[in-house]
Amino acid sequence: MALPLAQELIFGLVIGSYIALGAIGFTLVYGLVNMINFAHGEFITIGAFVGYLAVVFGGVSLPVALLVALLVAAVTGWAIARLTFEPMNDAGAVPLLLMSIGLGLVLRNGMRAIAGPDRRNVPVAVTTYRFDDLGFFVTSNQLFIIGVTLFAVLVLHLFLSRTMVGISMRATADNERLALVSGIDTRQIRNAVWLAASGLAGVAGVMLAVSQSANPSVGFGQLLLIITAAILGGAGSPYGAVAGSYLLGVGIAVSVAFLPADIVALSSTMAFAILIVVLLVRPGGIANTEVRTS
Amino acid sequence: MSRFELPEIDATRAGLVLFVASVIFLYSPVFIRPPSGTFVFLELAVLFLLYALILIGLNLQFGHTGLVNFGPVAFFAVGGYAAAILTANDPYRAVGLGFAWPVGLVAGVLAAVALGVLLGFSTLKLRDDFLAIVTLAVAEIIQGLTITFRDVTGGSIGLQNVPRPIADMTGGGGGAELFATIVVLGSVCLLAYGVFHRLSASPYGRVLRAIRADEQVTETLGKRVFRYKLVVFIYGAAIGGLAGALLVFYNGAASASFFTIDVTVIVWIGMLVGGAGSDRGVLGGLALIMGFQLFTRFLNDLLPFVTQDQFASIRLVLVGLLLMLVVKYRPEGIWGTAEELEADS
Repeated sequence: MALPLAQELIFGLVIGSYIALGAIGFTLVYGLVNMINFAHGEFITIGAFVGYLAVVFGGVSLPVALLVALLVAAVTGWAIARLTFEPMNDAGAVPLLLMSIGLGLVLRNGMRAIAGPDRRNVPVAVTTYRFDDLGFFVTSNQLFIIGVTLFAVLVLHLFLSRTMVGISMRATADNERLALVSGIDTRQIRNAVWLAASGLAGVAGVMLAVSQSANPSVGFGQLLLIITAAILGGAGSPYGAVAGSYLLGVGIAVSVAFLPADIVALSSTMAFAILIVVLLVRPGGIANTEVRTS
Repeated sequence: MSRFELPEIDATRAGLVLFVASVIFLYSPVFIRPPSGTFVFLELAVLFLLYALILIGLNLQFGHTGLVNFGPVAFFAVGGYAAAILTANDPYRAVGLGFAWPVGLVAGVLAAVALGVLLGFSTLKLRDDFLAIVTLAVAEIIQGLTITFRDVTGGSIGLQNVPRPIADMTGGGGGAELFATIVVLGSVCLLAYGVFHRLSASPYGRVLRAIRADEQVTETLGKRVFRYKLVVFIYGAAIGGLAGALLVFYNGAASASFFTIDVTVIVWIGMLVGGAGSDRGVLGGLALIMGFQLFTRFLNDLLPFVTQDQFASIRLVLVGLLLMLVVKYRPEGIWGTAEELEADS
């Protein structure tokens, strides 16, 4: 007996997984540093290239490459943020946003000038498990991607709820001044946020490199999907971002399967249409965060 | 507003006079044929004047009112396609209704205004940076739609056989129409600059700057902030649509490649480099950025060991670096004043 939708569900979970890892970082930065980081996609690209280099030239296995990319992207992203965003932290949302656009242009095109526009595939052994009776198949890669993301979400949850840094992080996101007078070093918290956000972006990059390819715009291509997922979930809410990502991923996969081919070409366009509808109907997203000013 | 040295000649009047003169010039049998070596610069000048129109509207939106519109190209594209679809005669694989060009011009502006009303009503009540995301997303949606619905828009091939009124009215050929286009667009630009400058220098403009400084205070002073923001957003949309329509009437075609995100990037960086809020400064900034692009294009020919693709990337790295440096070290831009960006006006 074939299960309808099972195959689409798996594709959707895979798409949702790498959007989720990007969106968690994006939304953490949004909630804690109070900026929309348009260079977030480039942190993903850094992870993709580090993963590619580790697998192809380092000859390490995929889990090790993931760990390497996590560390390298976390430190690189943190260092870049320390140089660019941290000194102008008090300048306000719009200058920070413009800064991130400039940074994105520099990083994306810098990587393109060095690596060239080619798509580089990461050779990984793939086992396919077929369930023909049930009408779907799943590869070891797909299971790996979904598993790593769920593990990362679990770790994030434990971090935010069980560690002092995580609890301080939530306090800072809620009310930065109150957190500051309560004795929380908000600068330290921002450091932690940049490390976590770019580290997760690096992991997402390796996953994208494995399932698609490593190229200079691989992260930028995901950026608007990530923003959509983050807003769908409620900007600033990491749990909302995970929910929003999987909703978006499954939505894209199912619509690709059932809508006529002409409309499928619109799939990314549809994501933006969803974004606008969300902002109109429920601008706070699933978690219903505060976004209105007037 | 004593900080602004008012120009000797009022730009609005000068623009009007020049516009009338350029129309007479078009109808007269006289034409001026520039030497062929200058075509590269003249074509860039036409593009500069079109982008300047978009920038004049964007500067009112962001520079004076603080509205972060990251999708000016959306209005440019909607205006261009509306004008092209209504006026094209038998375009290849696209819709062309064959109306006269004035119909297309009006329709281009109205279509952009309609998009502005729709977007303004839905997003101007949200946080500032949400407007940035929505306008950026709308620009991407419109780019996606023009490529997907290629039976209507011609996709990346484009929509040909759009009337070229300026070229048709100019006899002579061989670059004469380029010169005429610059004269007409220059006068339109000057006029638009004059009108928008008057608007921003008036008490109305002070309210806009008050909104940029602090919305809630302005609201408590009895100004209807949302209405001001909506109207300003629509003004910007209208002039962007006008620029789009003028572009297709200059080119005789509309194509997705004219309306990419690059337009947004150039116009925004020009505005920030020149000094957002300074009406003349932003145009200077745009000239600098477009001049830089022209200069680097020549530079590439001198550096044979760098591939064209690499060079394009390096150029964008430099543009990004420039943006970062300006935002960090001179947020008021080259010709802007720091006080102007603060809440003093």
